[in-house]
Amino acid sequence: MKARNGGLLMLAAVLVVGSVLIGSRREGAEFAGSDGQAMAAVAAIQPDYQPWFKLLWEPPPEIASGLFALQAALGAGVLGYYLGFKRGQARERRNRTDAGD
Amino acid sequence: MHIAEGFLPPLHAAAWTAVALPFVVVSAWRVNRLMRDQPRIKLLLAASGAFAFVISALKLPSATGSCSHATGTGLGAILFGPSVMALLGTIVLLFQTLLLAHGGVTTLSANVVSMAIVGPWVAYGLLRGARWLNIPLAASVFLAAMLGDLATYTVTAGQLALAFPDPASGFMGSFVKFLGVFAPTQLPLAVIEGLLTVVIVNFLREYSGDELKILQFPLRALATEARS
Repeated sequence: MKARNGGLLMLAAVLVVGSVLIGSRREGAEFAGSDGQAMAAVAAIQPDYQPWFKLLWEPPPEIASGLFALQAALGAGVLGYYLGFKRGQARERRNRTDAGD
Repeated sequence: MHIAEGFLPPLHAAAWTAVALPFVVVSAWRVNRLMRDQPRIKLLLAASGAFAFVISALKLPSATGSCSHATGTGLGAILFGPSVMALLGTIVLLFQTLLLAHGGVTTLSANVVSMAIVGPWVAYGLLRGARWLNIPLAASVFLAAMLGDLATYTVTAGQLALAFPDPASGFMGSFVKFLGVFAPTQLPLAVIEGLLTVVIVNFLREYSGDELKILQFPLRALATEARS
């Protein structure tokens, strides 16, 4: 399992790095978000469309980066806690059966 | 797949709310019952929500020179069933809307339909289908998560095309245009989502046998079903 997962994670990392390398060769590549590009496409189809509702709150850029980090940290924290907890539990179980022999 | 605030006309926003609401209500009821009946899977449920939380926050680069993010809702869908993800996905989207200015209040329901409802149902359906065809588990999980991710973006393209049909070529013209924006960027990201989901499922199969047994995962392939 370990070797296979290592390989899968490597493959994912290669895909990300490869994407940056290939992507940056493209003309005008700025790695703009596709969500933003879609909203620009809306403007191209219906130039007179005006969003009828404004964001309730938009974080200032510096704070936004912090909130992004917070979101990733919270998610990774909970996920990491679970994975570590289960590994510890499995080891404990193994130790106990060893001691029982 | 986050449709920005105010980018769906009021009528569309209301219609998507009518579609999403029953799913989210049922989902809340299901999650509640699951936590009461099976308290031992609470932690795995939290971890699955956390997976969607991280993965949908990460803007990943794509070979097209643009950026996008995965959805992360396939994992929870194949473990707990798709109906559970409607609530978890809504919580993730709500956080992103209110705190990160990503998405919007008026477009929340449309985003819930694509990321928290259709994506998970497609992932779950594909896993069932792939298992039924005796495709190995890792490959089934990979396909389910990857195509669930792509389904989410396809739905977003459809939602935008319904709201903004091309003056000349109508809904289809618009749909192809929006799909052209999303699909090339999303394809490598969907592959990454598939790979990461397989990594987590591999881990669970090694260390979380007790929880998987409660959830009756993996869904049995036909061959073993026939034998038992």
